[in-house]
Amino acid sequence: MSLFAHYLSLPYLLEGIEVTLQVTILGLFGGLILGLILAWMQLGRFWWLSAFARGYTVIFRGTPLILQMVFAYDALPHIGIKLPAILAAGLALACNEAPFIAEMLRSGVLGVDRGQVSAGQALGMTPAVLMRRVIAPQAIRTMIPAFGNETVSALKNSSLASVIAVQELTLRSTQLASSTFDFFSIFFASGLLYLVLTGAVSVIQLALEWTLDLDRTSRQRKLADYLPFYLPWRRADLATKLALADNAAPAVDVAAAMQPDIPLPPARALTREDRAKRAATIARNNIAVEVKDLRKSYGTQAVLGGLDMTVRVGEVVALLGPSGSGKSTLLRCINHLEEWDAGTVRVGGRRLGFSDHGKALTPRAVANERASVGVGMVFQQFNLFSHLTAKENVAGPLRWVHGMTGIDADRRARELLDRVGLSHRADALPRHLSGGQQQRVAIARALAPNPSVLLLDEPTSALDPELVNEVLEVIRRLAVDDGLTMIISTHQIRFADEVADRVAFLSGGAILEEGPAHEVLSNPRNPVTARFLSVMDAEKTPETVR
Amino acid sequence: MQKWLCTEARRASGSLRLAVLGAIVAAGFLAPVGAQAAPAACAALQEKYPDWKGKTLVNAINPHTPGYEAIDPKDPSKYVGFDIDLGEEIGECLGFKLTYKAVTFAALLTTLASGQADIVISDIYATEERAKAGDFITYSKVFDGVLVAKGNPKKITGINTSLCGAAAAENTGYVEVPLVQALIPECKAAGKPEPTLQLYDNNANCIQAILAGRADTYVNDVNTVDNAVKAYPDKLEKAIAVTIPYSVGIAVPKDKPKFREAVLAVMMEIYKSGDQAALLKKWELDPNNLKEPGLLTVN
Repeated sequence: MSLFAHYLSLPYLLEGIEVTLQVTILGLFGGLILGLILAWMQLGRFWWLSAFARGYTVIFRGTPLILQMVFAYDALPHIGIKLPAILAAGLALACNEAPFIAEMLRSGVLGVDRGQVSAGQALGMTPAVLMRRVIAPQAIRTMIPAFGNETVSALKNSSLASVIAVQELTLRSTQLASSTFDFFSIFFASGLLYLVLTGAVSVIQLALEWTLDLDRTSRQRKLADYLPFYLPWRRADLATKLALADNAAPAVDVAAAMQPDIPLPPARALTREDRAKRAATIARNNIAVEVKDLRKSYGTQAVLGGLDMTVRVGEVVALLGPSGSGKSTLLRCINHLEEWDAGTVRVGGRRLGFSDHGKALTPRAVANERASVGVGMVFQQFNLFSHLTAKENVAGPLRWVHGMTGIDADRRARELLDRVGLSHRADALPRHLSGGQQQRVAIARALAPNPSVLLLDEPTSALDPELVNEVLEVIRRLAVDDGLTMIISTHQIRFADEVADRVAFLSGGAILEEGPAHEVLSNPRNPVTARFLSVMDAEKTPETVR
Repeated sequence: MQKWLCTEARRASGSLRLAVLGAIVAAGFLAPVGAQAAPAACAALQEKYPDWKGKTLVNAINPHTPGYEAIDPKDPSKYVGFDIDLGEEIGECLGFKLTYKAVTFAALLTTLASGQADIVISDIYATEERAKAGDFITYSKVFDGVLVAKGNPKKITGINTSLCGAAAAENTGYVEVPLVQALIPECKAAGKPEPTLQLYDNNANCIQAILAGRADTYVNDVNTVDNAVKAYPDKLEKAIAVTIPYSVGIAVPKDKPKFREAVLAVMMEIYKSGDQAALLKKWELDPNNLKEPGLLTVN
């Protein structure tokens, strides 16, 4: 063992590290490229690409790397591909890593909340923009630990290249051991060298995780945050901290969170005369949304059974009805977030998602059409992009979809956040906002591109009762002050009564009854509507509407 | 020869060429280790077999056999040993240089067959089975030694029924492997337990198997065995030397008969000139290994 230190610094072994790194890097980057292609094939729309990728995965994940190395080195020359040993080893390692990396990429992508994907689509993002701006940034963050693992395993697997005459660290160690008979010193030395390499990978991994930590960048933590136990007052604070930890909520910028939201001036209430005037004006307006004989079923279960509906510009329509009556599906069809079986949907006179000849468009073309027609959507679960601040949630899509400059987009975002009373929370991450605040940001985001129609899918159902009002107030102002065309699915009967021009009562995928809001809600003609309304009344919805 | 080349060069072109040629010739005379190949014969051979002049060929080796081929402990970037010197001398004579490709023993011939190497000079025994993968120019007799732990606790006396119930370490692809396997029915017939085989990738691992008490014996080339005993005189010993009916051979691709012919011709020169005997002496190998070069090919 006396020569241990000598072997550690032996240039012959250190050069072996260089070769080890070359093979590892070839394997990892090659594997990343192949893995990206495989993941793209499997996540794509074409079944045959996906089947090919599956087949590749079965073969290359299911055979030992050592065989693949020998194949790349000894079999490929028979078909005229004679790669240098390092390249052959790199190729084999890349082919072997690819399926593992593809699975990591796939789980990373699929792990991103589907709601955010829907939100991105509704904002008119093409699949490429959606991938680059919403899915990838979040997926990459979750994939870093797995990538660290994969790098370490590739580094160790590169030692198998010794079987095909690649002069990497392991092969050099065994050769040296053979000629000196100094077996253990050499293998301890090379083991330590491997540890240094894999240790460096771990350090890089942790550094990346730290750099990409959203909470860190959003709070601009100071060094003191990392040394809590060295500071006496921090130690005293520990008890409180532990108590707070029960909530498991991430630390929030206390100053901003405590500051009360800027109160919104209440929207003025509509009088009977106002309503009559509105109705008369709307009746003369153009048609904004026209749904004809819309049919859709999941398997044998019919969700929409020949539904007809017309909404005029400036009109606010409330969709009522029990869960599963097709309200959400109808909204998602209007935005073409969902396919349907028969019928037509026109927004602003255009069949969204179809060419002039009625042919279905590609997802990319549908996205562009959504952006140009302008259908905003607000979701029950808010679906804010969780890696972006409130302001970026609004400004980002303006830049990426509508080509606005950074300055213009920022100005517009600030303006809209101000309008929903959240200008002081512009730099907060969604997870640091309350549900009501998140939904208001979501509304600001949907309004930013000036949509011609705003679809709201149960915008208050996921909120705690005390937060419902702040959101309803924002929507009420949009209806009354801005005259925005809106279709709202809701369970808030009183809110519907006050804000909607018309209510439509859905059941079993068809409209059972529709008419002026106040009329239908106070005098339902259909017994099913009446029963539903009386049940809702009896439940005494907790919110109090002004 | 030096004189002749210089005159030739002066006649052919200017002084630059002279300088270059001079350097090459000087290097050529400094490089060979101990032995001098017959210059006149080599010039004639280069004329007869000019295809490899100025080329660089790849020699696949399993560099785990000190004395034959292993890295130089003093300068691990170099390979040294009897086979290395022999290869250099063949190259010298035909005008080519050698680079080395280190592979496992079992991969020597596959590396040659796949075209990743041009020649294999790595203490490999020429057998008919192996000759299916490459043609052999035989150049040395084979004496095997039986390496055992100090004191030979299992009383092993060679590849015979004394191996029954013992564990033999061997390298994958070694000719000793089938010889040990052939003992299984013999041991059974004698009512003794079967011998077991442990297959490794290189000599060092086989030797370590005995040192670790996992294997009882390692039967291999007697010089390799002697070197192991030299390295661990307190722990290992050579039980006995046995003769094995094979020759050591240089393997060349089957589809290059001209190359085989050239290497055989050079080997004849090296043998006749006494260089081969000198090399055996230089590497402290048994002079009884010396053998007139021959061919082993199968179709």
